[in-house]
Amino acid sequence: MTRDEANGLLDAYVDGELDAAKGLELERYLESNPVARAACERLRNLSAAIRDQAAYHEAPAELAARLRASVPVAPETTLVAARRRWLMPAVALAAVAIVACAVAIGLLRPDGEERLAQEVLASHVRATLGNRLFDVASSDQHTVKPWMSSRLRFSPPVTDLSADGFELRGGRLDYVGGQNVAALVYQRRQHVIDAFVWPSQDERAAQALSRDGFNIERFARGGMTFWLVSDLNRKELEDFARLLAERSAL
Amino acid sequence: MGAVSERKHRFEQRVLPHLGAAYNLARWLTRNDHDAQDVVQEAVLRAYRFFEGLRGEPRPWLLAIVRNSCWTWLQVNRPAELAGFDDHALEPRAAEEPGPEALAMRQFDRRLLNEALAALPAQFREALILRELEDLSYKDISRITDAPLGTVMSRLARGRRLLAESLRAVSNASAARVHK
Repeated sequence: MTRDEANGLLDAYVDGELDAAKGLELERYLESNPVARAACERLRNLSAAIRDQAAYHEAPAELAARLRASVPVAPETTLVAARRRWLMPAVALAAVAIVACAVAIGLLRPDGEERLAQEVLASHVRATLGNRLFDVASSDQHTVKPWMSSRLRFSPPVTDLSADGFELRGGRLDYVGGQNVAALVYQRRQHVIDAFVWPSQDERAAQALSRDGFNIERFARGGMTFWLVSDLNRKELEDFARLLAERSAL
Repeated sequence: MGAVSERKHRFEQRVLPHLGAAYNLARWLTRNDHDAQDVVQEAVLRAYRFFEGLRGEPRPWLLAIVRNSCWTWLQVNRPAELAGFDDHALEPRAAEEPGPEALAMRQFDRRLLNEALAALPAQFREALILRELEDLSYKDISRITDAPLGTVMSRLARGRRLLAESLRAVSNASAARVHK
């Protein structure tokens, strides 16, 4: 690999976007080339600095309110929609037929798992949209935990992970799967993570899902089921799940 | 009526959660709050009209619409900024050439970093915002900015070089002042 070639690939490498073969080739080049290695390190630092320090501009609350108010009065019918309207009953019928077949041959299982996923997702979306993220706002686990325990029939594990870059923001009470649950709210950079917790005898393996652009993680630890929902990227949410599982086991 | 409220409900659930990302992108591209709000409002209403066209993930889909609105706004209101828009006009130094102090630190001055980022030409700025703040893949960025993957890659690379250079320049300037 030539110097120019390696230079051209550094950013994609740092971004984790190189295919495996090119990545290996570049890593071999970096091993033998300390100058390029230093350049790579500088790129990582710069990328991390932008992530940590560039302003994430919060949408003003009045913008969200204004949009929610104005969406229903937006023109309902575009030309395309009007032209296609006659198609809709046919499309709907076809869809019903396809779903019926899929269920019949066992492709789709609208099971409890999917229902729970939809419920925690809906709760997360409602909370982030409506700005009712927490009933108790505190970054202190010794405030959040007793608050939760006194209002629920169980005491959820509340873990401080701020040293690992996941800041506790607070918690709220929620209702999922027909029971009262604890929703602990964490934050990573600008991303809100909801951790739903309730007692269960769940012994299934952990699972990762994704719905509508949100990542979801489910796992069980110490007699509790955890569902995590966030628009954080998969890798960091997995890190969070792992940390939470480790610390909650104590 | 049922169809309308059902559609609105789905829109609120799938698209509106990404309003924050939409505003942040518009704020970085227009560089002021007032215009960012206007652009986002117009873009979201447009998104609602074309909601049937949504396939796959809603966030990149919404961001593509917002991005288009931003560029239209820039063309009308900031034509000078886009004049001479050319990815190849700026040939920064190669990554391997370290500056004297090599920007080794990870903690830059927050204000300087934000100013330097805001001063980047729009196509590099948007690539960096989408990558570093929205954590989007090259493929998504390519869709949103309507540019080939190779262009996304080189815009990110150039954007980072330009940013590093301008940070290096200001930190050199302030070091020079201190030594006087």
